[in-house]
Amino acid sequence: MLKEKLAIGIVCPYGWDTPGGVQNHVRDLAEFLISAGHRVSVLAPAIDEFQLPPYVVNAGKPISIPYNGAVARVLFGPIAFARVRQWIQNGEFDILHLHEPAIPSISLLACWAAEGPMVGTFHAAAKHQKVIYAIGPILEPAIEKLSARIAVSEAARLTLTNHLDTDAVVITNGIYAKRYANGVRRDKWSGNTIGFIGRFEEPRKGLQVLLDALPIVARFASDVKVFVAGPGDPSEIEKSIDPELRHRFEFLGKISEAEKADFISSIGIYVAPNTGGESFGIILAEALAGGACVVASDIPAFDSLLGGGEYGALFASEDSTDLAKTIIDLFRDEPKRKALARKGKDHAQIFDWEVVAQEIFSIYEMAMVGGEKITLASDSRSWNRFLTRDGR
Amino acid sequence: MKTTLAVALVILIALWYLSFLATRLDRLHHRVETSWANLDGLLQRRAAIALEIAYSDFADPASSLLLTSAAYQAREARVQDRSAAEMALSGALGLLIVDGAIHANEGEASLLNELSALMAKISIAIAIHTDAVSSTQMVRKKFAIRLFRLAGTAPLPVTYAFEFDAI
Repeated sequence: MLKEKLAIGIVCPYGWDTPGGVQNHVRDLAEFLISAGHRVSVLAPAIDEFQLPPYVVNAGKPISIPYNGAVARVLFGPIAFARVRQWIQNGEFDILHLHEPAIPSISLLACWAAEGPMVGTFHAAAKHQKVIYAIGPILEPAIEKLSARIAVSEAARLTLTNHLDTDAVVITNGIYAKRYANGVRRDKWSGNTIGFIGRFEEPRKGLQVLLDALPIVARFASDVKVFVAGPGDPSEIEKSIDPELRHRFEFLGKISEAEKADFISSIGIYVAPNTGGESFGIILAEALAGGACVVASDIPAFDSLLGGGEYGALFASEDSTDLAKTIIDLFRDEPKRKALARKGKDHAQIFDWEVVAQEIFSIYEMAMVGGEKITLASDSRSWNRFLTRDGR
Repeated sequence: MKTTLAVALVILIALWYLSFLATRLDRLHHRVETSWANLDGLLQRRAAIALEIAYSDFADPASSLLLTSAAYQAREARVQDRSAAEMALSGALGLLIVDGAIHANEGEASLLNELSALMAKISIAIAIHTDAVSSTQMVRKKFAIRLFRLAGTAPLPVTYAFEFDAI
């Protein structure tokens, strides 16, 4: 049903040049829609205008503010608002897709400025925050303009219903499953190995839980090795590791997409010990698609992604003893490990962009039933209409 | 002079706020209408597919009869009977889908697939519609809106019983 060609405007609230889940999602979605023949324009804040792909329009330099326990690069202010309005006016879009419209950034500004079929996607899963109740009344008039709301996970949906009193349809993040399915098995990474991908310096990624579990694992599996991939400086962490175990660790640094596919296909067990703050867990979906056997903490996002343990093993979050037990159990039981990996790989197909984009597109269709286009809201404010009618 | 200015300013702000509220409400009513139009269209398509299934060899005479009458009723129902008619059709189709999973040939299976894809869309459309309705109802409860009758003659939007049934 991706036949009808549309003009789609997508707004990304975070700086385009900084890595992040929302940015990746917007990039992949935009590229998928373009390859399906639609006209897509993405509005995003960016530091370096000359590095942008042709479909991205720069909205200005992002400002770093602390938000939800991390530093967010967002953009707002009168100049940004003017640029958003200009982009909406020049774009002649059939539909606007706003990402994270409840965050003080250009998505919210676009939601405020535009009128017509709009779809919002909510990514964040936050704990109960009192501050939301204070800003809720400000957000409400803007958020209720959205014709349809999408949440990327059950956790994100709950955050939305708790904080803003509105429901959403759950459509997960997408991955290019094929890219990971064809990874080449490399001997140096295979065997009794444990893989970890992510910014390991961030405490919420939970590398420490894995470090604490390793002494127990090493006692039962003497040849175990741990490979940690991801940007960051490992020297601090290496110092904290017991010298006898240090040779079992290898920090690979940032790896390319192709290496990532090989890495996932080779390792014995992929471990995601995140302690929280995850909304969907895209890396888990990628690991499943690459045919890895996955062990993850039982935070809500991972629990629902792994079907409560059906497509990968779960351990009690932040409990390194339980993690060690789960890992040893899988190392000893080869058939179980293989069966989990196979089930996970089949399951991962539902996260493929082919499926996910189709679901998003059917939401677009539902939002566009009225047959209107996107316009600037002020053009149709009632007093404005009143004035023009008077003038005639 | 100063007090007149202050009073004028307050009145201006109040007027702006009222116009803001009226626009907001207008937009919400509009959203209810479009989401209903969407849902209505999907339900009509479902009734059409139900008829197609009823005329195929797949349905036995009894369920064919049941489906045909349910589909016609859903298509022709007046507003107040709509909910009951849609629920009857859901029930009739539900029976058929359970059977269909067991024995259906290729052509029939594609019809049933189309039907289940449509059902998935309908449940999303229902979620969108009920959300629009409940936000509209919330805003219409506001004191200023009731006092100044900003809703005008627009009827209070309602959800239908079958929508909760489907969820």
